[in-house]
Amino acid sequence: MMTLIRRELLDNLMTFRFAAAVFITLLLVVANTIVLLKDYEQRLTAYNKAVKESHQELREKKTYSGYAGALVVQRPPNPLSIFNLGLDKQVGNKIEVYHAFVPTIWDAEKHGADNPFLNLFTSIDIVLVFQGVLSLLALIFAYDALAGEHERGTLRLVLTHPIQRGYILCAKYISAMLCLLVPLLISLFLSIILLTTSATISLSTDDFLRIGGIVLTSLLYVSLFYLIGLCISAMTRRTSTALMLCMFVWGCLVLVYPNLILTAVDIVPQPETQTSVYNQIKQMWEKLDKEDKQFIRNDAVLSPPSRGGEDMAAGFGLEGVEYTFWKDEDKPSILLYFHQTGLYAGKIGAESEPQVPRVQDYYGFYNRETINTVQRTWLVRKPALEAIYVQPANLGRMLLRFSPVGLYDAATEAWAGTDLEGIQDFFSTVQRYRRAVVDYFYDKKIFESRQWFAADKGTADWDALPQFSFQRSDTGINAKRALPDMLLLLTMNVILFTVIMLIFIKSEV
Amino acid sequence: MWHITKREIYDNLNSLRFALTTVLLLALMVTNAVKHLREHPKRVQRYQDAVTESLNHLTDRANDSLYTLAQYGPGNFYKKPSPLHFCANGGEFLLPDAVEVDEPPVFMTDSEGNRLLEGIWSLSYPDANLHNKDVGPNVSQVDWAFIIGSILSLIALWFTFDAFSGEREQGTLRLMLANSIPRHTVLIGKFLGALLSISIPFALAVLVNLLLISTADTVYLTTEAWGRLGIIFALALLYTSLFVALGLLVSARVQQSAVSLMILLLMWVTLVVFMPSTLASIASSFSPAMSFDEFWKQRNPIKEDLWDKYKEGLWSSELDDSKLRAKSEFYTENAEREERWQEEQLKYRTSQVHRARAITSISPATLLQHLIESFAGTGFERHLQFAENVQRYTRQLREFVADTDRADPESLHILGVREGMSKKLVNPAAVPKFEDTLNLSKDFNTTAMELLLLTLFVLVLLSGAYLAFVRVEV
Repeated sequence: MMTLIRRELLDNLMTFRFAAAVFITLLLVVANTIVLLKDYEQRLTAYNKAVKESHQELREKKTYSGYAGALVVQRPPNPLSIFNLGLDKQVGNKIEVYHAFVPTIWDAEKHGADNPFLNLFTSIDIVLVFQGVLSLLALIFAYDALAGEHERGTLRLVLTHPIQRGYILCAKYISAMLCLLVPLLISLFLSIILLTTSATISLSTDDFLRIGGIVLTSLLYVSLFYLIGLCISAMTRRTSTALMLCMFVWGCLVLVYPNLILTAVDIVPQPETQTSVYNQIKQMWEKLDKEDKQFIRNDAVLSPPSRGGEDMAAGFGLEGVEYTFWKDEDKPSILLYFHQTGLYAGKIGAESEPQVPRVQDYYGFYNRETINTVQRTWLVRKPALEAIYVQPANLGRMLLRFSPVGLYDAATEAWAGTDLEGIQDFFSTVQRYRRAVVDYFYDKKIFESRQWFAADKGTADWDALPQFSFQRSDTGINAKRALPDMLLLLTMNVILFTVIMLIFIKSEV
Repeated sequence: MWHITKREIYDNLNSLRFALTTVLLLALMVTNAVKHLREHPKRVQRYQDAVTESLNHLTDRANDSLYTLAQYGPGNFYKKPSPLHFCANGGEFLLPDAVEVDEPPVFMTDSEGNRLLEGIWSLSYPDANLHNKDVGPNVSQVDWAFIIGSILSLIALWFTFDAFSGEREQGTLRLMLANSIPRHTVLIGKFLGALLSISIPFALAVLVNLLLISTADTVYLTTEAWGRLGIIFALALLYTSLFVALGLLVSARVQQSAVSLMILLLMWVTLVVFMPSTLASIASSFSPAMSFDEFWKQRNPIKEDLWDKYKEGLWSSELDDSKLRAKSEFYTENAEREERWQEEQLKYRTSQVHRARAITSISPATLLQHLIESFAGTGFERHLQFAENVQRYTRQLREFVADTDRADPESLHILGVREGMSKKLVNPAAVPKFEDTLNLSKDFNTTAMELLLLTLFVLVLLSGAYLAFVRVEV
């Protein structure tokens, strides 16, 4: 057995294709790591700048109601996006925290120095290099493993010895995998060196475990392609046919299928749910509007008969109101609808002083009702967003899984934490944070405080606000998400190996 | 020579790869056609609805008064969807499909909310499509550009990798060269043979694709569109011959056909898959984009001194000539600056994209992508052309407003202020309408450089193959 492996290994190592394999993988991986590292550094700088700016912007607000649009959370770039970019760059990375809507992935915007037109160019990551090049190399190592020996007649020679056919197959498999491991590991090693020497990127132990997971997945992927090649090699008797078929299969699996299937299958959701849910949400807000107007109309202080009770813009006739503002969003495509009004008073005049407690009461009522309405709209908005955006996306990913390329991509994305679930983790943290801010406002009675709209008796204290912090999920959770796809890859490996074994044992030499 | 070509074609026609190629190309092209038939009517419908709405805006405003037209301008402008969208989608979902007309800014209101100072409309160029909230997997669409750029080039290598090395292995090369055929004839024969035998399945697939598309009554192709399709087909052949030449070159130099295929595949992966994206990343990291905030900060001071300049005219409510003139100038200048700022931002971003595109043009696959996009009337260049069309039209419309006003002797000829403009009714039919057009000769002009570059690549590789084959020992 060992002799067989040694022989195969030497056979493979001394070939031109091995040298070429190592060379091309190294070249591509190193070149792309440098480019990706630079890109990551730029994104990190943009992130840091955005964090600083939003921090400052919030501190400039004197009243609590001014936090609309100023309390912003930034999503840091994921260092492992170098390995698999996933959705990291595509999804917005700046999200507002406000009590009038629940923040989701779709409400996020892009921060900073983005030229959106540059997205026209395709982006690349290390997994993509492996996906294309390693699979090709695996097939090139495999196509003549059996057919070649058959053609040269050496297979017959080997089989004259008292060795089981299974051993020969295993020896071939192990030695080829060892050979394929060399370019994979060397190139990864180099890219990790590049990563660790960079000052901006810091990898934790967890990150190394995740990279380990990516390596393991790559191994399964490469092995699968080697087995596909071996299978073709066992079935055809001529190397030229095997080579031709290998190339065809590679083209189909890597290039054609992923693009073809998503073009062919129409996974656009029905627009009816969208409009009906949007109208439902709008109605909830209109109901709030009515209650709000009712409140003002019933209030003798806020609504003097002369003004007809609906004059919100004039700031309730308070002396010293500097401006009134509206904040609203109306985006039917993402089912976002809300509107809020507010006012800002630098210094409230002495003659309006008796009116102030009423205004405070009003805001207490209005904000509480707003939050309740948001809660109600969220109950319909969440499932609708799932149906409109997440389900088609998952269906698309599901279809891609019929090709090993899709499985490999999904598993590595899960390891890197740039898959949809990984990104969703961030947004659920933001949702929890919004809840914490609202609770804090409730606790400290900020909604009905004077500081909500006036800056004369004490201004907003932003440092006491709960702080936002986000930790990427544990390696365990990454592993859990990657495991199903990895298991599928493994199963395909085992099945193919068995098939090859059967073909090889039955075949006449 | 014809003899060799004929022999090659016969050889290929009977082979497995020919059958597989035909099936593959047919499947891709049929999917492409079905997808186009499914989506193009929706696109056209959306465009027509939007255009009707913006035309309604225009007529409403013109019906109201000349001042309303001058103040609110036309409705938004929409990009006409190209009927050749199936050739190249050109990242259309990333590009904005409209140039917007901004509402006139309100500079000042009184306590009742009445507008005291309101300016006039200006153009604004929206960013890339921000409504795209898709979280699905990122794959390229199957359009002609993909089929030709990736699949057809791979097929070209598939047909040529054993052209010489295979014959050498079989020993037939020596036999052939023993006859009194000059080597370049052999080379040209092989080249034509491979090119023709790839063209047969490709032409068949294209034919099926076009048959499906043109017989459907939802899609209508004009004569010009057919001309453009012809050009794209010719481009496809040029591009394929590039890879055929590459295949012949490597095949002539390498002894074993397996090694030759491996070299070719690795070259292909680098040229077609990695070079475009890696080079684009490098190019875009040269110059970090200027953020919106920075642009905003640059602009604000300019606005401030506008206020200072026209202070006196703005604060008075008198309606004498000089005050009105000051207001009018303030409004116009404000709108002009707004527009200029927007244009500068677009230009800045455009130059960045152009730089990246220039660098990626080293890869023939990107060259082809750009060429097909230009001739299909999609993609980035088309977007710029659309913006240019809009700019031309707005000049025309502004001139129309000024001319109409000038024709009225009772008017004070102060544009942008209600009191200073003609009160006569405007005939909505006389107002110029926007039309988004494509111009074939202009497309040729913009792509001339890329066309030349692609041809140059082909020639260099062909002569390379010639030199390699002439010198090689059999």
